[in-house]
Parts: sequence; C-alpha cells; structure tokens
Amino acid sequence: MPQDMPPVGGYEPVQYKRNLPVRGFRPSVYLLATGLLMTYGFYKAGKGIREHNELAREKMWSRIHLIPVLQAEEDRDQVRRYLADKAREKELLGSETKVYNSDRFVRPTYAVTPDKETK
Amino acid sequence: MAARQPRFNQHVLIDTTPLPDDIPKVKEIGASSAPLMSASFFIGARCKPYNDDYMMCKTESNGRGELECMKEGRKVTRCAASVIEDINKHCLTEFRRHWECLENNNQQLWNCRSVERPLNKCIFDNLKLEKTVPGTPEGEVPVHLRKKQIFAMHG
Repeated sequence: MPQDMPPVGGYEPVQYKRNLPVRGFRPSVYLLATGLLMTYGFYKAGKGIREHNELAREKMWSRIHLIPVLQAEEDRDQVRRYLADKAREKELLGSETKVYNSDRFVRPTYAVTPDKETK
Repeated sequence: MAARQPRFNQHVLIDTTPLPDDIPKVKEIGASSAPLMSASFFIGARCKPYNDDYMMCKTESNGRGELECMKEGRKVTRCAASVIEDINKHCLTEFRRHWECLENNNQQLWNCRSVERPLNKCIFDNLKLEKTVPGTPEGEVPVHLRKKQIFAMHG
C-alpha cells in the first residue's frame, strides 16, 4: 500500500506571520509629536500664569494705594459716631461711663439711635 | 413663607451728628469704586508719603488709631482729593472713558488697556504722575505696558 508522501516540491510555507497593513508613522514620531505639543502647551500655560501673577500684583497694588483713603474716611465716620455717642451719654446720664478696661477704640456693637434725626 | 415680617430699620440707625467744631472739616472723596480704581496708581504716586504716614500712625498708636490719626487721615483724604481734582481738570475725557470701561468690564484692568494708555499718557504729560507697579520682576515689560494682553477679551 503506497504511503501518503509530501507533495512533489514540498509543502507550501505555513503563514504564521500576521499580514496586517502598517498604518501611520513609527511610534517614535508620535512620541516626538506629543512631546512637542506638550512643550508648546506648557510654554503657553507658563506664559499665562506669569501674566496672571503680574495682573494680580497690579490689582493688589491698586488696592493698596486706596486703602489709606478708604480707611481714613471710615475712621472719621467712626470717630464722629463715637463722639456723638459720648455727647449724648453725657447729656442723658450726666456722666461718662467707661465700658471697656482699655484705652483702645472699640467699634460699637450696638447703635444708639437718636430720638429724632439730627438733620 | 417667613412667619415674621422683615423689619428694616437701617434708616433709623443713621446718626447724622457732625463732628465737633474743634476738629477741622474735610470734604470726603465722594468717588465710587471704578474712578478710584482708575486713579489709584496716581493717588499712590503722589500721596505715598501721606499714605505711609497714616498707616504707620495707625500701626503704632496701638488700637487708638481712629482717634489719634485723624490729622494724618485728613492729609490722606486731601491729597487723594487733589489728585482726583487734577485728573478731572486735565484728563477728564480719558479718565471718564477708562472708568466707564472698568465699570463695564467687571473692574478688570486688563480688559481696558486700550483706554488706559491714553489716560496714562495724558496724566504723565500734565501731572507728571507715572503708573508703576512695585515688585515687577526685573527685565520684564510691566503688565500694563504690554502690547498684547493674554486674558483680554477685547482691547
């Protein structure tokens, strides 16, 4: 009985490699491109942060220049009310009571309302 | 619904008693926030000694600054008022344009550079007051002089 023998000329080569088409560029190109993009982005972000810091500094200084003016106005108003309160107390009670055991100026918690508006 | 009626009694809290006569009178600034912000760097440029004096007085008077620093406070107010008056006299249109821009742009200075530049120039030419931001890093264009503002939506 004749045996099964390989075909004449040998078998076809077995295709063990995948035959997928290569799409796109080499991976190193993508790495490089991502790197460039990220660098640019961080550069712009850094620029923005620097400018933001400077803008914050500008805003802060514009306020710093105004603080004495605003504070002076507020203090004058407080002193006016304080002196008015004291005068009223003197008029009503005939004496000046010291409420706090210190010389500091204390912003009043309660406002005494005059009987009738004085203007 | 609230069971209790809200009672707004702020109007009776107004105490209009003026200061006693032995304290010199001074007219308050009377400007709102946008004009003050627009003029702030010029107020700072002219009134720095008075401002520093007042703040130092407040620091050193140990809690009694309100009563003891009134003299310095009057100087501060008068100086700032003089700056605003001078700006009004010489650069009123530029000034008005700038603070109206500030009002319309949430008081963001970087959105109003195009109107700020003429104001700064006018004030420098007429009043010799220059806007400088202290603490700007060396060798860098100060932010208010840069041609392009990164965050500006316009102008």
